[in-house]
Amino acid sequence: MHPANTVVSPAAPAPARRRLGVQHLVIAFPVLSLTFASIGAVLGETFYLRLATEALILAGLALSVDILLGYTGLLSLGQALYFGLGAYTAAYLLGQGAVGFWGALLSSLALATPVALLAGLVAIRSKGVYFILITFGLAQVAAKTIYNTRELGGSDGLVGVPVLQADFGLFRVDLGSPVEFFLLMLALIMGLYLGLNYLMHTPFGRTLVAIRSNEHRVRFLGFDPWRYKLAAYAVAANVAALSGAMYPMLRGFVSPELLYFKMSADAVITVIFGGVGTLIGPIYGSVALVGLRTVLGSWTEHYHMIIGALFMLAVIFMPRGIAGLFERKESGPAQDEAERT
Amino acid sequence: MNAPAAILEVENLRVSFGGLKAVNDVSFSVQRGSVTSVIGPNGAGKSTLFNLICGAIAPDHGRVRLKGNDVTGWPPNRIARAGLARSFQITNLFFDLPVEENLRLAAQALEPSGKLLRPKRHSQRANAKVRELLERFELSHKAGELAGYLSHGEQRRLEIAVALAGEPELLLLDEPTQGMSHGDTADTSRMIRELARDITVLLIEHDIELVMGLSHWVVVMHQGQKLSEGPPEQVRADPAVRKAYLGEA
Repeated sequence: MHPANTVVSPAAPAPARRRLGVQHLVIAFPVLSLTFASIGAVLGETFYLRLATEALILAGLALSVDILLGYTGLLSLGQALYFGLGAYTAAYLLGQGAVGFWGALLSSLALATPVALLAGLVAIRSKGVYFILITFGLAQVAAKTIYNTRELGGSDGLVGVPVLQADFGLFRVDLGSPVEFFLLMLALIMGLYLGLNYLMHTPFGRTLVAIRSNEHRVRFLGFDPWRYKLAAYAVAANVAALSGAMYPMLRGFVSPELLYFKMSADAVITVIFGGVGTLIGPIYGSVALVGLRTVLGSWTEHYHMIIGALFMLAVIFMPRGIAGLFERKESGPAQDEAERT
Repeated sequence: MNAPAAILEVENLRVSFGGLKAVNDVSFSVQRGSVTSVIGPNGAGKSTLFNLICGAIAPDHGRVRLKGNDVTGWPPNRIARAGLARSFQITNLFFDLPVEENLRLAAQALEPSGKLLRPKRHSQRANAKVRELLERFELSHKAGELAGYLSHGEQRRLEIAVALAGEPELLLLDEPTQGMSHGDTADTSRMIRELARDITVLLIEHDIELVMGLSHWVVVMHQGQKLSEGPPEQVRADPAVRKAYLGEA
């Protein structure tokens, strides 16, 4: 959609008012999550707490997609590459007993950064559909490589990741406890949200939005879009790798499926369903989709069809996603990609 | 460099698209503090000339010097940093962003890159620049509106304001009055005159009266070549120009 061609809106929405709704979403998420955790703790629940923790881990992958799609205007269909990279790095090193909680996280980031810069050098050079295909291809190559590498468990993946204690100095979090793991993941995802939200409001982040809006014009203002896109790509990769590193700590194993197209595509669907370019929307989207998948999956094995149909309905009737329902009027950063492509 | 007062020197610039010589051996210079205009009929190569100067396309032959530095082949972002800004004939804005944000992005180029990760409200200089331009271009009341929702005239004003936000030394205006009403054209003409007090302006314009009233120097292009150049009165009197352009207009 090109707003230049639309009718002039007589009343400009006040920006502060426009954001109010989304701000409520930001506050509501930890409140709802803590309520959920309390109930779970009282009831001694395990299954749903661990499922919710997984939803939060996948929300990290969705945030990574949103930075690229919602802010930079880049659709990556291979973001699972970095999620899997983080997961495998953590699983491998933890399985060897080489590192603890912090070591696993830092190693994932240390590996994701150079890989992202290298892959970004190739991918960012290409535009539009070629960028999409290259990100897709890179993830496929990485998945197949792992699939065929015996040292990384091949098609079986890596198992036997020990249950960890995360040492925070003042206190320790027992990752064997579903409640504690959930709370840790909640803190991590809210921390990521706040950090990324801050970053997207700095001159750096605003330049990314400008590139999404009109890359051609950005060059004539004195910015090199390529550098900004590469930086965004590296940031996104690190976010995906960080959440990926949490995965084996929760599930105790990793497998090549973590890098498959389905993971990448699910993350894009999560972002569109939650609200492109809002950061908070994809977090809700992740919880909603994991929830839907589990509920529908317990009824029928054909749940993918239902989710597909629901996704189409969602795109038609709430094109700005869950977060869009809480916005009063169109705002820049939340410009819906699904509408434009 | 032979003329130290020249902010821009174009030497033997040439570029072809396929078999078409879009710009063929064009040379001229722009004196600091002047308003220089490039005129010519449609297809004369004016816009291509602009694209060559600002780095959007690379010439097949020839040199572009900005403030004495050879900037031939530099990418547009580097040329912009060196002090050249441009507006576009077809409005080229961030349509899905607020007016204010359009200007802030452009003004952000003034900030050292070390401030890239500071919150935007901290960039005092850029914010002051945004406020100043909003007032100067009478867009203050539209600051929060999406650029795509502005009227055509407002968008043309914003186009120039965005180009000015980075505090360029040389401003290239590509048909700033394109599609404007008579009254708006007069306003724009007044505004360019005001601008020219602080910076150097290179202008592409169709409106001959506007050009003749504003410019210190006029370059006439015809079929990719420079037909004539000189002060407005001299160009107006040039028989070759009258034949090729003014006579037909």
